[in-house]
Amino acid sequence: MNKALGRKIRRYLPELINNILKLFVVLLFLFPFYWMFITSFKPYAETIQFPPTLWPKNFTLDAYKTIFSGMDLTNYIKNSVIVTATIIVLQTVVMIPAAYAFAKYEFFGKKLMFAMVLVAFMIPGQITFITVYIMMAKWKLLHTLLPQIIPFGANAFGIFLLRQNFLQVPEEIIEAARLDNTPEWKIMTHIMLPMCKSTMITIALFSFVSHWNAYFWPLVMTDSEKVRPLTIAIERLKDLEYGINWNTIMAGNVLLVLPILVALMFASKRIIQAFAYKGVK
Amino acid sequence: MNAPANRRRWRFRKESFLPYLMVAPAMAFLGLFTFYPMANLVYLSFFDYNLVNPVKKYVGLRNYQTMFFIRRDFMIALKNTAVYTLAVVACLITLSLLCALWFQKDTRLNRFAQTAMFTPHLIAMLSCAMIWSWIMDQNSYGLLNAVLELFKIPPLRWLNSSQTAMLSVVIVSVWKSIGYYALVIMSALKSIPVEIYEAAELDNTPKWRVFFRLTLPLLSPQLFFLLIVITINSFKVFDTIRVMTNGGPGSSTDVLAYYIYRYAFQHFKIGYASAAGTVLMVILMILTALYFAVLGRKVHYQ
Amino acid sequence: MAKIEFRNVCKYFGDTKVIENLNLTIEDGKFTVLVGASGCGKTTLLRMIAGIGPATSGQILLDGEDITDVPPGKRGIAMVFQNYALYPTMTVRQNIEFGLKNNGVPKAERERLVAEVSEIVGLANLLDRKPSTLSGGQRQRVALARAMVKKPKVFLMDEPLSNLDAKLRAQMRVELIELHKRLKTTFVYVTHDQVEAMSMADKIVLMDNGVIQQEGTPEEIYNDPNNVFTAQFIGTPPMNMLLVDKSGTLVGFRPEKVSLAYENAEGFLKRKGTISTREMLGSETLYRVDLGDAYVMVKSFNDKFRPDEKVEIAVCEEDLCFFDPDGVRIRDSRIDGLLQRLATAGGDK
Repeated sequence: MNKALGRKIRRYLPELINNILKLFVVLLFLFPFYWMFITSFKPYAETIQFPPTLWPKNFTLDAYKTIFSGMDLTNYIKNSVIVTATIIVLQTVVMIPAAYAFAKYEFFGKKLMFAMVLVAFMIPGQITFITVYIMMAKWKLLHTLLPQIIPFGANAFGIFLLRQNFLQVPEEIIEAARLDNTPEWKIMTHIMLPMCKSTMITIALFSFVSHWNAYFWPLVMTDSEKVRPLTIAIERLKDLEYGINWNTIMAGNVLLVLPILVALMFASKRIIQAFAYKGVK
Repeated sequence: MNAPANRRRWRFRKESFLPYLMVAPAMAFLGLFTFYPMANLVYLSFFDYNLVNPVKKYVGLRNYQTMFFIRRDFMIALKNTAVYTLAVVACLITLSLLCALWFQKDTRLNRFAQTAMFTPHLIAMLSCAMIWSWIMDQNSYGLLNAVLELFKIPPLRWLNSSQTAMLSVVIVSVWKSIGYYALVIMSALKSIPVEIYEAAELDNTPKWRVFFRLTLPLLSPQLFFLLIVITINSFKVFDTIRVMTNGGPGSSTDVLAYYIYRYAFQHFKIGYASAAGTVLMVILMILTALYFAVLGRKVHYQ
Repeated sequence: MAKIEFRNVCKYFGDTKVIENLNLTIEDGKFTVLVGASGCGKTTLLRMIAGIGPATSGQILLDGEDITDVPPGKRGIAMVFQNYALYPTMTVRQNIEFGLKNNGVPKAERERLVAEVSEIVGLANLLDRKPSTLSGGQRQRVALARAMVKKPKVFLMDEPLSNLDAKLRAQMRVELIELHKRLKTTFVYVTHDQVEAMSMADKIVLMDNGVIQQEGTPEEIYNDPNNVFTAQFIGTPPMNMLLVDKSGTLVGFRPEKVSLAYENAEGFLKRKGTISTREMLGSETLYRVDLGDAYVMVKSFNDKFRPDEKVEIAVCEEDLCFFDPDGVRIRDSRIDGLLQRLATAGGDK
């Protein structure tokens, strides 16, 4: 009996150790989030305690209370939401005709223009910010939300992806519609778009994550509190004069991270697909 | 015969007009907010300009002279950026490759692990930076130091020492992106036909040889491509530095993007900052050219 | 000696049962063909011999030794994959000698063996090319060479000709048969093409849904099928099947065994009918004859018949095969009764 058991253990042991090691690695990635969460529910005194506690001894909502009372959170959240939503809508409106034209038409300069789209994709805000800031200052827009929105009107990645998708729609369907005297815009909205719903959602998700998380651009482009988004507000938490209250800081980050985690829970496969596609192209 | 000819000409004009109309908004945005700023950046780099006084003073190449030869801090920022990039690229490629190989089979544990490892990529760099700043707090109650204490290792000053600050920043960047790049490599692994591995099995091939003679060569176009992508992304680093170290301690983690930002918005030297920006832009353009060259040449072995 | 045995082999993919309690012996030195439609389990069996798709339960023996748990690389078996599975980043030479290298064969010996094999297969001038620069036929030769150079006890081939054009396929068929004659090693060959099976095999194993329908030489399978499935899988066009009576008993006969005449055809089973279609195949003509309640295909050297002509068909007694309602061949004394029934029924059914 013991020999059979021994053989079984020997057969399954390496796999068991392998799985334990894997779980340990997974922990490495998930633990910082856990740490963020529980820190946000500790009183300040407990956060500076040594050794640190793995579960709040004195569970409290103090940190959250401080944030909600200490700063105008609704303002910041509102800004983040408006900016992100407007960008997505603006990008969609700009991107669809452009992608359609690149996919289904031949016109002089098409190749050059599309190449410009691809190159533009690679140019980061760190290069363009100086000029755009000067522009926005000159047009007196710095105390509005516009500088955070309009520079992103053209989503190069979205145009590329959507064009790809349009190219895959069989030409015959479009020709049949044309023969039926359907106007171009109707072809676009009633035939092509429904077939590309999945890609559109992917692009929107990608944009949502990019702009909800944006820090550098709003830092540069805003000069008044009433237009600053959540990211700036949360970063400010660490500059408090009376020492660094980690529980408050973590509470702020929980708020920032929550929408993304919620989206991930509902659409994890799609989100992963969106980002994985970008890498492979 | 006039009427039909007119109609024909009108339809032709309308048809050829349409696509331009459709791409116009996108091209306008790109032109105004991407390409014009690029050109303007180079233009501004030849001036002395401090935003308050609208008059710009032409100074030719003096900004570049100052940057490269007179001041030391630009070269330090450039060096730091290069060191950071090198470290991140090396760690990210090897670790992502290892994770891709380790977690590639389609099991429940692996799928859970993939999602878990991918999550840091989705949250704001800001949040990653702040969470890790907390974990790397130099006091003994900082999580990492507490863990070291557990193993009787003396605590490190992490972000507060010029020796370890860069390392700390690199750790955060690598942590954020391993999951993402591992996923990309995994999809490349999936494109390798299973029969090749089966044939290798029948050829009595030891596992290490399968990796070095089969898997790695077949992956290398994709890996090289990722190398360029990660390099490009690393050269632009800003959020992490600003949040975790503000370029310090001293200037041990000052990087190009932060340098440009400081000179533009703290010293108000727009011209000088533009010169630094132009250097960054040139570097990125070279890397981008490489990116597209490799993209075009990616060989698919069939 | 490289006899292969399957003992009570079962294969499950998850919860789906693909093969259950299969027993089979593949003789040493013979060219055995596993044939059947897609999904019948033939490739699964092949992969079990190789070890790359292990059985869920049961044993596989090679030369009497249990190899069920032996790793694929240590079985002394070589395989040619359907898509060749050449190593894309290596040259032809490196592809061929890879297995030898892994087994520690010294360089000089490897070079000799590679040269020897590439002569046989006709690849000598391609040794430094990469697989992506080769044509389909050339890649197939590389796959063959890679298998041959190991001097294996068993050659496995998974539909190796299916990706070649018709002319090349015919040519390679002949070459493979000659290779087998020359090497005298056990060949196990998988195909869905029954023509390929018939022309190449010493022994055919016909499978359907994970079950062996019949094992035998091509002649046995063709002339003496054990069941309706075999009778209708092999042969183009397949064996004709007519109902004998309401119980579902069938009588079958091959199209070329039918005598065709305007009247008084010579044979035991006679029926009257009309020519429905006519296909001129060259040396033979294929007729579809409508008998009213059924139709039969007739292969004849006589090309004079035309559609809509009234004809009579006849088949000799010894060319008739009877099958019971379950599709199993009837070989016992019931045949006499059935023959009686057919004789009296004449051409009225």
